[in-house]
Amino acid sequence: MSEFGYIPESPEQSFGNNKGIFTPKDIYDLTRADKYTNYGQLELIETLTVSNVAEVDFTNLGTYNVHFMTFNDIHSANDNVILSIRFYESGVLETASVYQYAYQYGNVNGSFGDSRSTVQNRIYTLMNVGNATNETANGYSYFYNLIDSSKYSFSTFQSMTINNQPNGNMNFGSGVLPQASSVTGINVVMQSGNITSGTISLYGIRYS
Amino acid sequence: MGLVQVATETVTSAVASVTLTGIDSDDVYMVAYNNIAPSTDATQLQMRVTVSGSPDTSSNYDRASKSMKAFTTFSNSYATNENLTYPSSAQTGTGTSETNNGILYLYNFNSSSEYSFGTVEVVTGDYASARLYGWAGGFVNTVSQSCDGLQFFQNSGNIASGTFTLYRVV
Repeated sequence: MSEFGYIPESPEQSFGNNKGIFTPKDIYDLTRADKYTNYGQLELIETLTVSNVAEVDFTNLGTYNVHFMTFNDIHSANDNVILSIRFYESGVLETASVYQYAYQYGNVNGSFGDSRSTVQNRIYTLMNVGNATNETANGYSYFYNLIDSSKYSFSTFQSMTINNQPNGNMNFGSGVLPQASSVTGINVVMQSGNITSGTISLYGIRYS
Repeated sequence: MGLVQVATETVTSAVASVTLTGIDSDDVYMVAYNNIAPSTDATQLQMRVTVSGSPDTSSNYDRASKSMKAFTTFSNSYATNENLTYPSSAQTGTGTSETNNGILYLYNFNSSSEYSFGTVEVVTGDYASARLYGWAGGFVNTVSQSCDGLQFFQNSGNIASGTFTLYRVV
């Protein structure tokens, strides 16, 4: 009996340390056991199905240097509001006007512009969303250096929403918390009122 | 975990269209398209959502994007009630690297009660010796229907080459 080409059995397999000859089934089984080396993997940390809350927190960031978050089918209780991001630093939510952001926005009816601030109490991330049927917000954000206490915490984002007109809106841009700190959590908060429903998922990007 | 490939097609001889289907859950989906070249010079890549595998040709596509050009000023691109939408920022051609390359994220496609949304991020080498265009924005199909994929095609002629891949983000 051979295992991965070794007789009688192979060395212990682990991420970053695979030895042997692998069939497609071997690769599948080792991947499911998190023992097969695939650099740049997108790894799900947590998915939150949101229901009638003003904000949600992701408090497990793992050991990733880059995170990815998706926002799917976000409905708002209040009309024409923006979904934003704040960070917990060593367990304490930063609510001071110390965040910076800059984004380009555009409306399907031709209204375009930019929005930016160096003294905001959050990073505005998804575009304005209405609160009527089919008025939803959708998008994604990447986060960089969150857990590194020697670096600022950056984000990039892109979204497509329907506002209260109702018109389609897009935006793309970036943000930063310009403080060298250890971010221990991500707070997702509506500008006002509740997030009525939606799904938000946080991933870590694994690389060596 | 991560990106699970749902469908892929690599074009090696000219085809009229490429259809990627398989969206069957409420997850976010992603499309990566690479080195998409036309068979006819100065034509533009377009797309439609598919419903049970067939393209929706109704005039219910809205879009807004910023067109960022290396050789001139930026411009705004927007429309409502079109019968298609765009994963490209400019016409491409039959010369070297006159291609489209980009990423789409798709939201709510599977839901029969919501509109289907997408964000678009693409880089294009245009038909005039691959001048650089970047494009970032989004589109929405303003019909409450369950969509299972996308169909890609040129506004004239065929797709000559390139790879399209649909992933589920899990």
